[in-house]
Amino acid sequence: MSTLSVAPAKKLNNIILQDINKSYSKGDNNVVVHDKFNLAIKSGDFVAIMGPSGLGKSTLLHLMGGLDRPTSGHVEIGGQRIDELSESKLTRWRADNIGFIFQSHHLLPVLSAQGNVELPLSLTPLNKKQRQQHAANALALVGMADRAHHFPKELSGGQEQRVAIARAIVSDPQILLCDEPTGNLDRKTADEILALLKKLNNDFGKTIVMVTHDLKAAEYASRVINLEEYIALGVEAQGAQIPQEQQSILVGE
Amino acid sequence: MNLLELVFRNSFRKKTRFTLTCLSVVVAFFLLTTLAGIDHALNASVSNSNQYRLMTSHKISITRSLPINYQQKIKALAGVENATYVSWFGGYFQNEKNQLAVMAVDHNTYFDIFDEYKIPAEQLTSWKSTRTGLVISQSIADKYDWQIGDKVPLSSSIWMNKSGSFNWEFIVSAIYQRQDNTTDSKRIFFQHLYFDKARAYARNMTSWLSTQIKTDVDDEQVSKAIDKLFNNSDAATRTTTEQVFIKEQAQQFVDMAMVIKVVLIAVFFTLLLIVCNTMIQVNRERLNETAMMKAIGFSSLSLVKQVYLESLLMLSLGAILGSLLATLTLSQVQLQFADFLPGIAIDPSHYLTVFFLVIGAAGLCSLFPAITIKRLIISETLGARA
Repeated sequence: MSTLSVAPAKKLNNIILQDINKSYSKGDNNVVVHDKFNLAIKSGDFVAIMGPSGLGKSTLLHLMGGLDRPTSGHVEIGGQRIDELSESKLTRWRADNIGFIFQSHHLLPVLSAQGNVELPLSLTPLNKKQRQQHAANALALVGMADRAHHFPKELSGGQEQRVAIARAIVSDPQILLCDEPTGNLDRKTADEILALLKKLNNDFGKTIVMVTHDLKAAEYASRVINLEEYIALGVEAQGAQIPQEQQSILVGE
Repeated sequence: MNLLELVFRNSFRKKTRFTLTCLSVVVAFFLLTTLAGIDHALNASVSNSNQYRLMTSHKISITRSLPINYQQKIKALAGVENATYVSWFGGYFQNEKNQLAVMAVDHNTYFDIFDEYKIPAEQLTSWKSTRTGLVISQSIADKYDWQIGDKVPLSSSIWMNKSGSFNWEFIVSAIYQRQDNTTDSKRIFFQHLYFDKARAYARNMTSWLSTQIKTDVDDEQVSKAIDKLFNNSDAATRTTTEQVFIKEQAQQFVDMAMVIKVVLIAVFFTLLLIVCNTMIQVNRERLNETAMMKAIGFSSLSLVKQVYLESLLMLSLGAILGSLLATLTLSQVQLQFADFLPGIAIDPSHYLTVFFLVIGAAGLCSLFPAITIKRLIISETLGARA
């Protein structure tokens, strides 16, 4: 395993959400979040999902990352139906294929930046030295090499988010799912983080799906989906909204 | 960074909470180990007793005497190998703080039946031919620096001699050895013949009789036969096995031990609840981190394992410290109470019990966090801000 590989070293990881229904119970009510929702994202794309709160942006991200399951419909990543995987297989699949970046970085306060980045590697067969090397490389990539031995409480918000990005990419997943990654940051720091994500997309071919409210953040993406408008188009039109070169994904070509 | 390191760091995350919880574990295991030591002392005599020996005492109370001639009548019964008699002298050396377990025994038969006392043949012969001879244990000899031939004055708070004194003169004639460290090692014996002739009252009477039965007979049958023999006499008897007799004598201690045990179980389960509660609290505080770890690929089992190891670390530290402290304390208590309650010791198997208790308690303390981890929905915990 190399620290980070340049696409297309891994097989293509197209993301397909097909006929997704997602609802949940809230008290006596059944709340429908998505109804026959379709979306295709091509491997190597950088997609920003925008829209007002309550439309199910984060839910989409959780479905793509296998953190949640659709009530009905298909979630297919790299040709694999992840909605059909058992809980243990899904956990393993997440470790191998997905990097998560949350608005709250959720770094472990008892571990240094290096320790936090090494965390996902403890699930791999790498030895201690290899894990340390990989973590150091990832930290260097996000510009945090000189803060490797600092603990989260000793880092600024932007630095913490960089460490969280390093943690997300250290095991070289092909897909990065970012939920409001700059939501807690000032403009300058947010731009630095977004530039970093862009770099990961451009230089390493990572597929990035980012949920954001920030219009400026969306400018870094190669494709922006305004979820409100997208849903308003209806089921048939959603397919038409998918760029020509990505429509073949949905029809399985 | 590896998982054990993470467990270690997480354990000491809130040092005050960890220390206080760990201290409660120390107290519980200190109590457990201390009780085990005392329990060992209380049960030592019972477990060392002989299954082929019967004890016959007065039916009403052991404080009432029986005629010495019962010995010959018992001896004549079928299934009886030998019989002897013993009188309780009590006694102390110099002052009442130095209490001793002194008994007057039939010098012709006692050590034939109680052959666990190892006495050199020439010393035993010497004792039998010395009317005022004493048989003492090596530990008594060491404690008071008594040697063979020493004249030893012992006082009794029960028995007055014919000269109207409670002070009796003896000569150390033999020293016995025992492998174990039970109450018997503190016993001192002298001839019943001397006792009977020298005491001011209760001549030809004895405190109790010991009967050795043949190995192929039923002890209950012989016991019944003995009691039936004296049923219509002035001094009816009650015969039991030696084990039952010793148990009954120690009943007040055993009952106390029962009470202590019940209290201890209550303390131990309270402790379990404390540790359980701590682990539940710890788990609740770290729900976001747990959800994040699940998200990046840690299985529920792996996360439960971490909680288990954390509980195990806390309980192990407490158990080791508590048991160690109790062992050191008991070694001091043993010295102080050697005469009153000898045999205080920790059986090595107790440490194995502690080991399994720790393993089991850690599992129990991880149970509720495990259920929470298993049921945790990542998307809900990390917040689905739609």
